[in-house]
Amino acid sequence: MTPKILFLIPLLPLLCGALNALAGRALPRRLAVALAVGGVAAAALVTLACWPLADGGGTRTVLYTWLASGKLQVPMAIYFDRLSASMTLMVTSVAALIHLYAVGYMKEEEAYARFFALLNLFVFAMLAIVLADNLLVLFLGWEGVGFCSYALIGYWYRERKNAEAGRKAFLVTRVGDVFLGIGLLWLFRLFGTLSITEINAGAHYLPPVLATILVLLLLAGACGKSAQMPLMTWLADAMAGPTPVSALIHAATMVTAGVYLLCRFFPLVQQSPAAMGAIASVGALTALYAATCALTQREIKRVLAYSTMSQIGYMFLAVGAGSVSAAMFHLFTHAFFKACLFMGAGCIIHLYGGENDISRMGGLGRRSPVVFWTFLGAALCLAGVPLTGGFFSKDAILAAAAGGGHPLFWLLLGVGLVTALLTAIYTFRLLYLVFAGECREHEPDHHLSPLMLWPLVPLALLGLGGGLLNLPPMVGGGETLTNYLGSLAGSAHAPSHLAESVLAVASALMVLGGWLLAKRLYGRGPAREESPLAGFLLRGWGADRMVELAILAPFRAFSRFFWRGIDGKVVDGLLDSAARGCGAWGEGLRQLTTGRISRYLAAFAWGLVLVLGWFLVNLGWGG
Amino acid sequence: MIVPFAHVLAISAAMFLMGLACVLVRRNLIMILIGVEVMLNAVGLTLAGASALWNQVDGQIFVIFLMAMTSAEVSISLAMVVYLRRRRGTIDADAFDEMRG
Repeated sequence: MTPKILFLIPLLPLLCGALNALAGRALPRRLAVALAVGGVAAAALVTLACWPLADGGGTRTVLYTWLASGKLQVPMAIYFDRLSASMTLMVTSVAALIHLYAVGYMKEEEAYARFFALLNLFVFAMLAIVLADNLLVLFLGWEGVGFCSYALIGYWYRERKNAEAGRKAFLVTRVGDVFLGIGLLWLFRLFGTLSITEINAGAHYLPPVLATILVLLLLAGACGKSAQMPLMTWLADAMAGPTPVSALIHAATMVTAGVYLLCRFFPLVQQSPAAMGAIASVGALTALYAATCALTQREIKRVLAYSTMSQIGYMFLAVGAGSVSAAMFHLFTHAFFKACLFMGAGCIIHLYGGENDISRMGGLGRRSPVVFWTFLGAALCLAGVPLTGGFFSKDAILAAAAGGGHPLFWLLLGVGLVTALLTAIYTFRLLYLVFAGECREHEPDHHLSPLMLWPLVPLALLGLGGGLLNLPPMVGGGETLTNYLGSLAGSAHAPSHLAESVLAVASALMVLGGWLLAKRLYGRGPAREESPLAGFLLRGWGADRMVELAILAPFRAFSRFFWRGIDGKVVDGLLDSAARGCGAWGEGLRQLTTGRISRYLAAFAWGLVLVLGWFLVNLGWGG
Repeated sequence: MIVPFAHVLAISAAMFLMGLACVLVRRNLIMILIGVEVMLNAVGLTLAGASALWNQVDGQIFVIFLMAMTSAEVSISLAMVVYLRRRRGTIDADAFDEMRG
């Protein structure tokens, strides 16, 4: 089997997306939709077929040289090793299920060709990031993901709010992209190559200070895409898009890109303990921040959005603690259960006829058992209930933090445990408010298409059983994923078995505590009174307001100064007065053209006098 | 030459100025044309005088040309005066100010 076949993985979604973009409206709807789903599903199958190529040191293959200019050679290269292979399989399979769900979800929609074309393009861009062996190809995918998220979040662009959410996502992630761009250019300057494998191989020659700066630049880029502090404000607003888009952004593409970037560059990242501490701190703080915000959100999708932010924070913590395998493990289980949760949330909103306020829901458990059981399964994973996939992956991260050795990591471990408690609280709150008790306002009366129901089942099962991917030795597992990744798995020190068991028990207790607390607080319906703290958390600690005050308002004042002051007063003033002067001058001259011949003749005569006078004067001086 | 050249110049200058004054002061188109004729003849007189002074024939040839040109000019401009008179019923120069800016 020729390795070139690997290029089919990103190109199939691209091809189907292009077909839909160019001719989607002319195609019959069934064909257009089948193309979209088929492209991604075929990519998943190709990934499976190519699986052996990832063994050993992986496979590197070049399609053609994209750019060649002197020293700069940019081949369209794919690097298919165990890290990118497992990531690719996750992205394509989860995305295929989401596409299938989207077929049911967008049944009523007119602009389906645009939607599915962008969805496929989104998957293509993500695959370009995952498979790239070249910084420029990676950056192409990185920006492609940004563009597609913009276009898809603002899919219903006729409503101003949605278009603004799309723009916000684009602009906020762009802040991170700038740093990433600087980092990539700097890497090229240092290594003289854009190949990721070569950069990773040469990373240990870097002086520590330089490595720290470079990793911090990468971290800033990753923060933008993965919605980590301080670039996290876009993710909660990204809910404006259709639900399949949210599922895609939160599970398979986009937000995981930042984590993957750091994992991909782990040989570079581990050169700088300081930068790793920064990564872990950013992750842990975001995890805590987002979990507190999720506690009081009313819209079901916003709860899930903040939970994504929080879980991605865990993954950053894992990378910072040096455990790529724990980060990837959590990335996979999270992708499964979060896709299921979002798609379940889409079903719930659909059942309630567009209602997305959980305080008005309730009693859905009896109405739609499939949605209830799958959502419950995925939510238990999110909460980290023991023996679910989420429990094991979160535990692996906490264990990695415990093995971090530095006192900072003990602090971050504490933050992680508190976050686990909060996660359990908001997850069970969500479950109680949506499914338990009696229906509070709208009676669910809508019908769900089977296409929206059955993709939930495999995802929920994958989430629940996701622990099998990487069972810790503590419960008799063999750490399959860690062993599979081998040298790519990172450099974390495993804590002692005793510490690991203590951690597992502690996080199980956190979940239990969270459940009991949520049951006590929300078992009988939503909290009635509005405390100022709840409002503060509802607004996400006023992060938007802070950004507004700290950056946007000064920037706006600055712009207004340049617009009204410099451009309006000075530049326009100068030009306007010059024009007015010319106008007045012309107006004065216009008075001379009376049209009377006698005047002209008189002027002629005076002119003659002047010329003669001039000659006379010259004659007088010239002698 | 019997007449001193200075006298010729003085007479032609006087004629030129009188013609100019006629052109500038009068409003009647025909009078303006007559003024132009006077000025042209003043120039012709100067040319003839200068030709006699330096014994060169050029000046006199020039005067012949001048006469031919003047007759053509007068015939055209008088035709235009007639035309304008028919159109407007007047030959007052100030009545024709359509070129006002």
